[in-house]
Amino acid sequence: MIGMIMFGVALLMLMVGFPVAFTFGGVALFFGVFAEGMDLFAFMPYRIMSVMQNTTLMAVPLFIFMGVVLQRTKLAAQLLTSMGRLFGGLPGGLAISTILVGALLAASTGVVGASVVAMGLISLPVMLAHGYDKRLATGTICGAGTLGQIVPPSIILIILGDVLGLPVGDLFKAAVIPGVVLIGLYVVYILVLTRFKPETAPPMPDDSGLSRGKEIQAALLAIIPPLALIVVVLGSIFAGIATPTESSALGGVGAVVLALIYRQFSFQMVWDASKDTVKVTAMVFAILIGATAFSMVFSYTGGDYLLEEWMLALPGEKWGFIILAMLVILVLGFFIDFVEISFIIVPILAPVAEALGINMLWFAILIAMNLQTSFLTPPFGFSLFYLKGVSPPTVQTTDIYKGVLPFILMQILVLALIVIFPEWFGMSSSY
Amino acid sequence: AQDTFTLRLAETWGPNFPIFGDTTKNFAERVEKMSDGRLKVRIDSANKHKAPLGVFDMVKAGQYDMGHSASYYWKGKVPNTLFFTSMPFGMNAMEQYAWFYHGGGMELMQEVYEPHNMLSFPGGNTGVQMGGWFRKEIKSLDDLDGLKMRIPGFAGEVFAEVGVNPTNIAPGELYTALERNTIDAVEWVGPALDLRLGFQQIADYYYTGWHEPATELQFLVNKKVWEKLPADLQEIMRIAMRTASYDMLVHSQHANAEAWANIKEEYPNVQIKQFPQDIFQAMYKANEKLLDEAANENEQAARIVKSQEEYLEKSRAYTNISERAYLNTMDEVE
Amino acid sequence: MRWIIKLDEGLAYLSTFCGWVACAAMILMAGNVFFDVVARYVFNDVSIGMQEMEWHLYSVVFLLGIPYALRTDGHVRVDVFYARWSDKTKAWINLVGAIIFVIPFSYLIWNYGYEFAIESYRMGEGSGDPGGLPHRWIIKSVIPVSAVFTAIAGLNMATHALRVMSGEKTYEAKHGAEGLA
Ligand code: NA
Ligand code: NA
Repeated sequence: MIGMIMFGVALLMLMVGFPVAFTFGGVALFFGVFAEGMDLFAFMPYRIMSVMQNTTLMAVPLFIFMGVVLQRTKLAAQLLTSMGRLFGGLPGGLAISTILVGALLAASTGVVGASVVAMGLISLPVMLAHGYDKRLATGTICGAGTLGQIVPPSIILIILGDVLGLPVGDLFKAAVIPGVVLIGLYVVYILVLTRFKPETAPPMPDDSGLSRGKEIQAALLAIIPPLALIVVVLGSIFAGIATPTESSALGGVGAVVLALIYRQFSFQMVWDASKDTVKVTAMVFAILIGATAFSMVFSYTGGDYLLEEWMLALPGEKWGFIILAMLVILVLGFFIDFVEISFIIVPILAPVAEALGINMLWFAILIAMNLQTSFLTPPFGFSLFYLKGVSPPTVQTTDIYKGVLPFILMQILVLALIVIFPEWFGMSSSY
Repeated sequence: AQDTFTLRLAETWGPNFPIFGDTTKNFAERVEKMSDGRLKVRIDSANKHKAPLGVFDMVKAGQYDMGHSASYYWKGKVPNTLFFTSMPFGMNAMEQYAWFYHGGGMELMQEVYEPHNMLSFPGGNTGVQMGGWFRKEIKSLDDLDGLKMRIPGFAGEVFAEVGVNPTNIAPGELYTALERNTIDAVEWVGPALDLRLGFQQIADYYYTGWHEPATELQFLVNKKVWEKLPADLQEIMRIAMRTASYDMLVHSQHANAEAWANIKEEYPNVQIKQFPQDIFQAMYKANEKLLDEAANENEQAARIVKSQEEYLEKSRAYTNISERAYLNTMDEVE
Repeated sequence: MRWIIKLDEGLAYLSTFCGWVACAAMILMAGNVFFDVVARYVFNDVSIGMQEMEWHLYSVVFLLGIPYALRTDGHVRVDVFYARWSDKTKAWINLVGAIIFVIPFSYLIWNYGYEFAIESYRMGEGSGDPGGLPHRWIIKSVIPVSAVFTAIAGLNMATHALRVMSGEKTYEAKHGAEGLA
């Protein structure tokens, strides 16, 4: 029960406005010391060490570095505005470009912190500068940045593969269609929204007196170099030159090379980019460390056993089970991080699902879609914190909370579609 | 009323890791039943303590009373722990258990763990581990030269001696790395566990093992905790650890047989291969050289290596006229 | 008041120093990963020592980055109410938060992190993989070192809050990661 009270207290304390990372850490400290004594914190160095040795997370600073360099050299703005220009007088061009760039990044990393922050650096300033609605801009970035979890490679899918004993390759393949559908839905949403509310996403201004044909030509030329960089990152994984994590370093070094080509390079620029990277990286990892203290206290005070008990009370009939399991995971995702859900909840659900004759691959994709949503749901959705961390002060937490709502709804919609029409996604619900 | 005890056990594996995780559950159940509830074991898996390779330190410091792991993981901390899991070209499971329980192995193991305030007991065996998944066939030593392979620890050093490039890849990226030829080969465990990672979908050549002929896990027990237990509970622990180990060995045999049947049926692309003799010879020599180096490091290592070598020689001679002779006979009649 | 200003500036200097080390580690890390990729793909050469150096540097980036970001107010806040409050209220929140959250949390990590690093030193721990790096205690000791500097940055947060309370400073000037975009 202590764990549950702790969530309530943390929620209240977060609202006060002290840095999120230290609020998590501090609340964990009070509850942990009160319930178990100081020595519980002897586990902390091990937990920090496990973050240090989790080399997949190296993608976070490396992608942020790429984003910062692209931003400082104005190459990011050039990429997005040119892409936006291709849409001509159509509103929402920048948002759609953001979703497409986000999808490319998602295909090269499975770490949400990396893609959300990189997208925040690359596209938030551009969208705001062109008069985009703050909510639409932040929602789009969180939605696009979080795609990294469902579009392979993805950490959630790897963990679920491990927990459910499914080959990672099968999961990666099964996740492709749901990922593409989600991306498509985002784009359709932007198109529909801007049809009714064009003021939320103004079209790019005409490029002074160029004919439409010339304009497209100019835009294509401007897109190529930065887009090529992202394609190189992705390509290096497909060609086997680099692992997904390493590809992010190619992105960072590639961005510096682009800066050289565009005569934007200086050692000062690299040093300043490194400073920005360190600050943002520290912000992300401080949250991870605060959160690991939090989940440590939660589980060592019996929170994990409590969750297990609740799970065992789920109904034993196929559709009732699926719907309730999905609801429970969705609600827990508001509070608990996806790794804990994967390791504590999923193993309890798995044998029940298996006994009901449910296709485990389908079940895994449902869970992955659902867990992806947990990155976006207030109050504890990490994507929201990460984006807030790189937003200008004019963007407030509430803007982001409201901005992600439509994207959460779209994810739930796709989840429901996979539940009801698995065959649309190339799967079946039972063996 | 008699005192009751609850021991907290940290395991290196995740909560539902097959076979390995079943071993600790099996142990905990037995202990509780045999002691009529006086001794309970609470298992914390890697998702809870987040320190799969911190089990040694946590049990040593008393943060946990017990651990379940593998001795060779501590090679970087205490070099001589290397010898109590499985050695390349070493004993098979039967021979190694005989060494532990009757050939002085246990005594040597306790001697190594004693200064660290811990006792170590055999904790279950995987049997022969497979030699790994290769995307290309290995026909000669030249094919190994510059080959990029995920192969950690001492076996990695042996491979390095014959020209392989041991490479670190995060477990979560192994599949993608092998699929995309970022690396050429992966060593994991055996059919039952490898199947979960899906290597059979992307690599055709599955090599037979030589580097870990009998991977033995371990139960670690904090010594102060052990000494606090009354003699009957200590005995219950001993028996439960020993049966859990035996159960794991037979469970591994069973699960691997099932998984292998499965692979053969569903992935006809997979071919079982053996390294050619010249490669084995080169690796054998490399292994001898590295063992000599290890033995020269300190007197204790020298004694352990000598004990294992002598025991292997003696017990292998018998294995040859019993198990091997029998398998050969079967070959001829089938 | 004067000594608080002096103390505040002195403490800030220490956090900036952490930031400097983290920035250097950041550039080295990007180079290190890039080098490893090129060495493996072009020259078919892999060094596990160099691969381990990657996570050593990456750890330095975020562990020493944390106190630096604290000084520059780079850690994200939920500003539903915070943004609307006066500087005085903000100063109180930061003063109290630094004293009851940041400093005790850092103290616990220092305390147990120190044991953790010392144990590694005593055992002479190194990598168990072929060609891996020796002296694991060096990177492990970055944990308690980071905790000390984080506590210092927490103290710095408190001295800064006192300066704001006295009216000599304001929270207006944003120089953190917020406002980067
Ligand atoms: Na991804
Ligand atoms: Na293995």
